[in-house]
Amino acid sequence: MSPSAPVRGASPRGIEPFQVSLERFEGPLDLLLHLIRSQDIDIFDIPIARITEQFVRALEDELEAMPIERAGEFLEMAATLVRIKAQLLLPRPEQPDWEEDPRAELVRRLLEYEHFQDVVHVLEGAEAQRGRHFAKGYIEGRPLPALAPVELQLTLVDFLAVAARIPEPAPPIVMRPPSQTVTVEEKVSLLRRLLAKTKRVSFDRLFKPWGTRAHAVAALLAALELARQQALRIEQVKPFASIWLLPGDRKQAQAAAAAAETAEGAE
Amino acid sequence: MKVEQIVEATLFASQTPLTADEVARADENLDAESVVGAIQALREAYEESERAFQIYQLGDGYQILTRPEYAPYLERFDSVPRAPHLSPAALETLAIVAYRNPIGRIEIEEVRGVSASSVLRTLLDWELVEVVGRGEGLGRPLLYGVTRKFLEHFGLKDLTDLPAPDELPVVLGELQQAMEAELEEAGADEDEEGVEEPGPKEASPVKEAEEEAT
Repeated sequence: MSPSAPVRGASPRGIEPFQVSLERFEGPLDLLLHLIRSQDIDIFDIPIARITEQFVRALEDELEAMPIERAGEFLEMAATLVRIKAQLLLPRPEQPDWEEDPRAELVRRLLEYEHFQDVVHVLEGAEAQRGRHFAKGYIEGRPLPALAPVELQLTLVDFLAVAARIPEPAPPIVMRPPSQTVTVEEKVSLLRRLLAKTKRVSFDRLFKPWGTRAHAVAALLAALELARQQALRIEQVKPFASIWLLPGDRKQAQAAAAAAETAEGAE
Repeated sequence: MKVEQIVEATLFASQTPLTADEVARADENLDAESVVGAIQALREAYEESERAFQIYQLGDGYQILTRPEYAPYLERFDSVPRAPHLSPAALETLAIVAYRNPIGRIEIEEVRGVSASSVLRTLLDWELVEVVGRGEGLGRPLLYGVTRKFLEHFGLKDLTDLPAPDELPVVLGELQQAMEAELEEAGADEDEEGVEEPGPKEASPVKEAEEEAT
């Protein structure tokens, strides 16, 4: 296994260093390393101006289409390159050593990154090698033998016996709209009839025998209508107790109304 | 019955790697040491009789696997999986974690120059890395290390199966040497010109200290 070959020397990504698609790069360090290695640049003497220009040009077209986080990573590197370029333009001591070279930190990072690219190639090799070993159980069991052809001999009795085993289809559930409707008028007349016969009528009696919601609604509307006409009074002792409908005392009500009017007139 | 046969039967019947201790559960008279000895004997026997399989050590476990030269035949069957490929981002992250183990997310990102949070999450899901502790410093960051499954995936016994950092094309050592060469050159130039400048000489006390130490 030789881990070194793919990264160093000739570029694995093509000769032209300018037309690079950023998609192929893991990140800014990867791109920068590609620019340096594909042009045979001495990594300890990077021409920062040239590399910065190439780096920025590679970004130009694709930056907008990138997810913002990834774009930020590339831009951060562009900013670093521009900063180094600026520092190199400043007057320096005549004998620069590595500690003062503004490129030193970048070179350290690039070499560290390249170092781990070598490890990546070692791992790739190991992964490929491991993929060539197989444990048990990878090959599927033999297919079931094809069934031998059997001549079909069937009597009516056999056929019926099999047919009898097929369960009866369940009757389909049909949803029908309620066929019988009830009107408020019907309930009003029912209520009047009942009130004429008895002193009080249970509200339940108006709809319970039919048991449908339509009857309950019609009964309620009928009771309210008659109460509005003061033909009956509605009584309920407490919430959820039975509701009782009592004949309204129309005369008494009229008298009360008249009394109220005279009181107003007296004022 | 011989120890070797018991060990062989146990490894044969298993679909996953077994540690020596796990194999030893097969019989009261077995212990890890005798299992390892039996495995060694079996390996030699397989080698000698040119079997198509061998006992391989993956992490701390042992497994009977086919030899690589038979892969082309097995790969003709649809149910045999093609060699798995991890993405470049996953490999890059694993490389850093394997060599800097234990390491925090921030340090990984410093090396890669890109975010590592999503790739770390994937690697955690695949159980190729695990949280091995918490670091010092702000927020006590989680520290990651590679797992037994990592070793199994790459067919490694342990991390020493990977080349030591200085066995790789020596990029980090190269940096060290280049820096030193650069410094020496700077020093030599000064001597020739006979200029005494305090600035660039800063590095020399360190060198002297090193020489004294050796």
